[in-house]
Amino acid sequence: MSKPSDLVQGTLDMLLLKILALEPMNGFAVSQRLKQVSGDVLQVSDGSLYPSLHKLEQEGWITAEWKTSEYGRRAKYYSLTRLGRRQLEKEADNWGRLSSAISRVIKLKEA
Amino acid sequence: MRPEHWLFTISLRLRSLFRWAQADQDLDDELRDHLERRTEEYFAKGMTQQEARRRARLDLGGVEKVKEECRDARRVNWIQDLILDLRYGLRMLAKSRAFTVVAILTLALGIGANTAIFSCINAWIIKPLPYPRSDRLMVFATHDKKNGWTGEHVTSPADFFDFQRQNTSFEQIVAWAGAGLNLTGDGHPELVDGGRVTWNFFDALGAKPILGRTFIPDDDRSGAPHVCILGEGLWQGRYAGNPKIIGRNITVGGEAYTVIGVMPGTFQFPLMGIANLWTPLALTDKQRADRSGSWLPAFGRLKPGVTQEQAEAEAGVFFSGLEKQFSQTNANLTWLVNSMTWDIRRKEGGPELMIVFVIVGLILLIACANVANLMLARATSRTREFAVRGALGATEGRLAGQLLTESLLLFFLGGVAGTLFGFWLMRLIESWIPGRIRGYMINYGHVDLDFVTLAFTLGIALVCGLVFGLAPAFQNARLDVNQTLKEASGQASGGQRGARLRRIFVASEIALAVVVLISATLVVKSFIISIRTSPGYNPENVMTAQLVMPRTKYINDSQKRNFGEEVLARLRALPGVASAGAASNVPFGGFGQGVEVEAVRRPSQPGERTGAGFAAASPDYFSTMQIGLVKGRFFNSADSQGSSPVVIITQSFAREFWPNEDPIGRQIRFGEQHTVATIVGVVRDIMRDHLRERGGWLMFVPLAQFPSSTLAFVVRSSADPTMMATAIRDAIWSVDNDQPISSAPLETLIAVVDAGYRVMTKLMAFFGALAMFLGTIGIYGVMAHLVSQRIHEIGIRMALGASPVQVLRMVIGSGLKLAVVGVAVGIVVALAATRSLTTLLYQVAPNDPLTFTAVPILFVAVAVAACYLPACRAMGVDPIVALRYE
Repeated sequence: MSKPSDLVQGTLDMLLLKILALEPMNGFAVSQRLKQVSGDVLQVSDGSLYPSLHKLEQEGWITAEWKTSEYGRRAKYYSLTRLGRRQLEKEADNWGRLSSAISRVIKLKEA
Repeated sequence: MRPEHWLFTISLRLRSLFRWAQADQDLDDELRDHLERRTEEYFAKGMTQQEARRRARLDLGGVEKVKEECRDARRVNWIQDLILDLRYGLRMLAKSRAFTVVAILTLALGIGANTAIFSCINAWIIKPLPYPRSDRLMVFATHDKKNGWTGEHVTSPADFFDFQRQNTSFEQIVAWAGAGLNLTGDGHPELVDGGRVTWNFFDALGAKPILGRTFIPDDDRSGAPHVCILGEGLWQGRYAGNPKIIGRNITVGGEAYTVIGVMPGTFQFPLMGIANLWTPLALTDKQRADRSGSWLPAFGRLKPGVTQEQAEAEAGVFFSGLEKQFSQTNANLTWLVNSMTWDIRRKEGGPELMIVFVIVGLILLIACANVANLMLARATSRTREFAVRGALGATEGRLAGQLLTESLLLFFLGGVAGTLFGFWLMRLIESWIPGRIRGYMINYGHVDLDFVTLAFTLGIALVCGLVFGLAPAFQNARLDVNQTLKEASGQASGGQRGARLRRIFVASEIALAVVVLISATLVVKSFIISIRTSPGYNPENVMTAQLVMPRTKYINDSQKRNFGEEVLARLRALPGVASAGAASNVPFGGFGQGVEVEAVRRPSQPGERTGAGFAAASPDYFSTMQIGLVKGRFFNSADSQGSSPVVIITQSFAREFWPNEDPIGRQIRFGEQHTVATIVGVVRDIMRDHLRERGGWLMFVPLAQFPSSTLAFVVRSSADPTMMATAIRDAIWSVDNDQPISSAPLETLIAVVDAGYRVMTKLMAFFGALAMFLGTIGIYGVMAHLVSQRIHEIGIRMALGASPVQVLRMVIGSGLKLAVVGVAVGIVVALAATRSLTTLLYQVAPNDPLTFTAVPILFVAVAVAACYLPACRAMGVDPIVALRYE
């Protein structure tokens, strides 16, 4: 499965969970939101977004629902499940610890 | 993964598996929705509709690729892959019908042979005896610690009853004696196989009657009212299943017995044969006290928790006590305690069956190698297909999986066909076992295709499919896409590696076939030698009729003598009878008698007495049996009641007693009466109980001097002896119409006793031919394929001036090279392997030079013949056509 090269492995899952924690939305909206909040820094191609969403769904962290969209088409809306919320907390914790550890290392002054 | 997580997601997984089509539709919709939104986005940014759509697609990447990744994310993908592969595989098999048919038939032969032999092993060796907790049943054997001999199953009555009283290891101890019982009254007299048993016989085996009761202790006393139990077969046959049979009197051995029970037809006791009539053993006090002769067969059922070792240890202690107490009769004697299951299975030729099992295992390998070769050949011609699929994005794993699935499918179908062939072969093997032998086998030798056998068949089919599918799978999965697609015709051989693998397969299958064929040839050669070896008489066209005179009716010697002479006179008068004789027993008749003998010349020393086979025979017996006279004379009418006892002995007997002297005129002392008789003749060695053994020591005395209550009449006729059966029976019944007779051609008696060996020989011949056939097909298939692969090359050679003969030589030469390598390896393996056949061989060495020369030559010749057809095709190659055919 192709992964965006500049995204730390496994963080895409966390980001997707976080975005879906805000409100249920469909794949396109997830992609837009991702670009928007990260200020185009995190480049996630549309091609790698959908397999990741399907994987999260398969894990039971998010669930999908078919609704009629604002354009009158059948559209798939994803939302976070209870399991997904727990997973998000766990990953966010991990991420917090990891990133603060890394920044501590980076901030070390050269002797 | 946490359990609840797993529970939660399993429904999702199942959904994506079973609602596969729906899920795919959803995926389509989702991606289309995305594309449309993206297109609208770009369109809103000012692109043209067309450009917007293009950009949206580019952003997504390949739609199909994304879809495939989404499906992968759903994780049940491999099942869907499998279903796809199976469908595709079935389509491919249906498309190349010739390949499929040949492969499935080859596998059917290989797998079916295994199914058949395994079902026999399952029925006769793996399945438990048909008794409750049969593992608790033990048989006894009397063992002489000093001289090393062992009397299977038997003990002396006094030892038996003492041990029965004193032991703490066994719930029950049972004695039994198989016997042919004369059944008279109610129609034709009949000789029924049956047994005399202690009262607890049925209880110990856990058998219940379908009618009436089994024996109780009171029945089993000497002088108790005579009672008997019938087998269902006898009850249905002779008494028409009369439900009022209980309480009726029937005549057994001239005495009245009351029927008290009927045992179901499913009840069997393989140590007794097909028994249908049981009476209590009811030994007299004198017999019960007998400690000198070990003749009473016995078995026991262990108490719960007692092991075989503990029981044997107890018997050991008990017998060492007896040794001290009765040093005359019990010196060095002890009991061995063996599992009944083990004992019965050992009789059925378990080791021989295992040899055949190994043979069919080799045949399966040959068949698999053949099919693997076919698959490799086909994989080579499919390289382009796989290269294209690889170029379109199929991973190595998927391609290998596809090929493996096809192979498994093929082997599965082969397994199904093999089950059918195996079923047929199993019935065939079963039909080779004569009825009399079946009685001594578990479930009367009946074999069934049961669950275990089916599981075994499926198991070997799939394991072989996996193992032999791997080679083509890896060969093709790893191919270089660019290279293959560049090769215009796809005709070039699929890499040197594939060709080498095929050659290795063929050479090894030839080696295996050589091993099998050499083994089979050795066994068949032994068999031919053994039936060509004269048994010491000529069994052809001889009819036998055996009977036992009831003691109640034939009390004294003159009555017995008169009966025999009267019957003989009438037999000689029958039309078509060349000659007729009588003896107290005939070879393979089942009544073999023996006596102890010593030469009179030497002073009698204890321990120097020797056992010898014994028969009392009429003068005509020798001429009727065509027994060869070496020295002296046969009996004549002068050797009668009043004259001095005379004896005829066999050659090896004479050689042992009088190595360098003329035995004629010497005297021997024999039997319990210590009778002294003068040797008047020496005859050729006679095989009485076994073929393929050195003729035993045998002695004959005149029937007139030693009347016998067991009589066997032998009648030599000019035509088919079975035609004489009724006439002989009527002649005997015209003298005494209350006399059951068991009659069979002498050749049949021999065949029955020799049945196991004959079955074995037939199997080996069958499988030898099968191995040869498969090996030949294998080498033909590979040569044919190699030639078709090299048509182009051959065309070039011929265009450059190679003559057809050179091409022929080239093709046959490369086939011959394979054959010679295979045969050479086969010879080496066979030299080591055939040593394990020694028990099956007769007058043939395991490394018999003739077999080890003939079989390889035959194989090389067949290999050349198999290469000839492809070679002819190669010779006929038209260079122009071959070169243009790109």
